[in-house]
Amino acid sequence: MKKISIYILIIGLLGIFIGYKVYHKPHINVAKKSIDITITANILLADFSSDETKANAKYLDKIIAVKGRVTKVEFNGEKAAISLQTKDDFGSVVCYLVKDEFKKSAQIKEGQEVVLKGICTGFLMDVILVKCIIINSK
Amino acid sequence: MSLFLVSFASAQERFLTKKGMISFFSETPIENIEAQNNQVLSIVDATSGKMAISILMKSFMFEKALMQEHFNENYVDSDKYPKATFKGAIIDFDTITTSERSLAIIGNLTIHGETKEITINALTKKTGEVIEMAGDFFINLADFNVKIPSIVKNNISEKIKVSFRFQHKPYKK
Repeated sequence: MKKISIYILIIGLLGIFIGYKVYHKPHINVAKKSIDITITANILLADFSSDETKANAKYLDKIIAVKGRVTKVEFNGEKAAISLQTKDDFGSVVCYLVKDEFKKSAQIKEGQEVVLKGICTGFLMDVILVKCIIINSK
Repeated sequence: MSLFLVSFASAQERFLTKKGMISFFSETPIENIEAQNNQVLSIVDATSGKMAISILMKSFMFEKALMQEHFNENYVDSDKYPKATFKGAIIDFDTITTSERSLAIIGNLTIHGETKEITINALTKKTGEVIEMAGDFFINLADFNVKIPSIVKNNISEKIKVSFRFQHKPYKK
């Protein structure tokens, strides 16, 4: 009888522990995730402009490494947004960086070629990537 | 998208922001859930007072990853409906001044593929080259066919408070 109640207690505690772990599951750490798609800013935007539904299926929620020339760096507090050049006059690829990249992003200059890694959330006037980190800047 | 843009007549009078903020808040005795989106596209046509907003559902960031996952996969089905939109008109837009005042916006809000006409009050002002609008309103999940499973009924409010803040600037290209 005593043994059984100990088992029940252990299972109960295990359940609480798992429940707690699932509830507090951490957000995706882009730096640690492997890249799903490597692409240039120009092709990424072109894919969304030509067929948005198809592009949504292909790129949404994916970890994307996007290469392009910087046209603009804007700051909202410690969070940078870097726009990348495309051949389209209208849109670009805008990457919203994580706070941890503040120091690195402050050194990014217009005209510089960069590779940024982030999660694609979709297309408005620009293709939008969030939680971005800088993986290459020359 | 291009269609959506050309539907506005004069390009010079268009004000927009690509970094508008929309957040929502669900309050229940058990838990509060909050999410924020800082990549909202909002366009105001200063000639007609018409307004158009586009929101990426996947750009809503939650405190907890699990909530974000449930929101996208179970509640708003963001793979199928990646955007929410609002199209409407600002009433008495021509009375806008440098001092803040409340203006009504009437239009159609589409979330989760469901459209509903709503009226939103926004504190509005125009200073220099910036049209600022901010406010909040409530939506009912049932109006947008968002179903909450009975197991989490007590964790999620049926009425969601939505807050917004936009700083539209003249659009030049």
